[in-house]
Amino acid sequence: MSNGGRDQALIERCKQGDRRALEELVRHYEKPIFNAAYRIMGNPDDAADITQVVFMRALERLDQYDPKYKFFSWIYRIAVNESINQLKRGKNQQPLDETEVADTRGPEATAHAGDLSRQIQGGLMELKEDYRTVVVLRHFSECSYRQIGEILQIPEKTVKSRLYSARQIMREALEARGVY
Amino acid sequence: MINERTLELINAAIDGELGPGEQAELDAILESSAEARAMNAELLKLTNLMEGLPAQQPPVELASQVLQQIKLPAKKASFFGSGWLPSIQPAAVGAAFAAGLVVTVAFYEISSDRPVSDDAASMVGTMIAGQQEPPGFLKNDMVLNGEGFSGTISLRENSGIYVLNFDLNSETGTEVEVGLDDTGYAFGGFAEVQGNADKVVESVSMSGGTLRVVNQGHQQFAVFLREGGVSSPAPDGSISIDFK
Repeated sequence: MSNGGRDQALIERCKQGDRRALEELVRHYEKPIFNAAYRIMGNPDDAADITQVVFMRALERLDQYDPKYKFFSWIYRIAVNESINQLKRGKNQQPLDETEVADTRGPEATAHAGDLSRQIQGGLMELKEDYRTVVVLRHFSECSYRQIGEILQIPEKTVKSRLYSARQIMREALEARGVY
Repeated sequence: MINERTLELINAAIDGELGPGEQAELDAILESSAEARAMNAELLKLTNLMEGLPAQQPPVELASQVLQQIKLPAKKASFFGSGWLPSIQPAAVGAAFAAGLVVTVAFYEISSDRPVSDDAASMVGTMIAGQQEPPGFLKNDMVLNGEGFSGTISLRENSGIYVLNFDLNSETGTEVEVGLDDTGYAFGGFAEVQGNADKVVESVSMSGGTLRVVNQGHQQFAVFLREGGVSSPAPDGSISIDFK
């Protein structure tokens, strides 16, 4: 899910003012950051706002980036923190509206997937933020335990414990919603 | 009742994080416990449901909005020290460049009382071939040397007007970027040499504090810099002059 060497090279070029490198970084991370924010926030508009803020914060402060950490961990950390801060500001916890998001599938498939997605998002939103975050990073961002630990700056043991508990809660929430 | 160890193994298996020997341990548990098998199946189903959802497409304009807003950090610049010219980066060449003696033969004429206009359209000028050396005091210079690419860039000052002189040779299209952020100067005009038969300056553009010149062949040109203000006079924050 990441290419540390390529990212480092792009970052160095960005520091020299190379906007092509900047564009490459933005294009590479735009979709994963948007998706992570989308699943934490439950709303595409907020996810888009957060994605913008994340890139502004990360790429305009490259001098603060410590290369001993992976860039993707750093930018995900900013994304998670920004999402949680936004949630804490109480701006939005509305249920996901699938119709607002571009989808290229057929109408029936879209309707079914949209309903399922809403149910799953509903289950996610029932989780506490720290549980939701690990579930999103694991299942929607495909991060390993070690990567989640790096992003959230918590021990792997804590990652596992939160993930296992979150899954139990999710399972029960989806059962209650009739998904199972 | 499923014990903690069994739950840990089931979850680790779902996440592909089982340690050595743990798969065999889990297999044995699953074989002997219907409850463990049911839990394993439910958690697998949950995982498949979540991971089976398609990734969402960000709004199409999101990346360009982000790119428009981001201002890259610029190196600290000074016209009078050695710090400014090394910030000139021949981005497409990617070779090592060393500061050295200027051998530029950029030809142009600049009048000290010529006003520098804010109108980008009026800034395109013409340099006059034949002069031995650009007028003004040499403030800094840089020799560029890379595979398929060579040249010089010098900075001169004449009666308060600063001019960057480029003398470039490139076999293929080469982009030169000049970061003007934090220099206190902005793009003030462009002039190319008359009568360069093999010149191919493909484009000169200014956006977000970065001057970008795409060059191919042998080309001499000058970029005028003016004090203060924003780098780009156009309302959308960018100007572009194409020579194709």
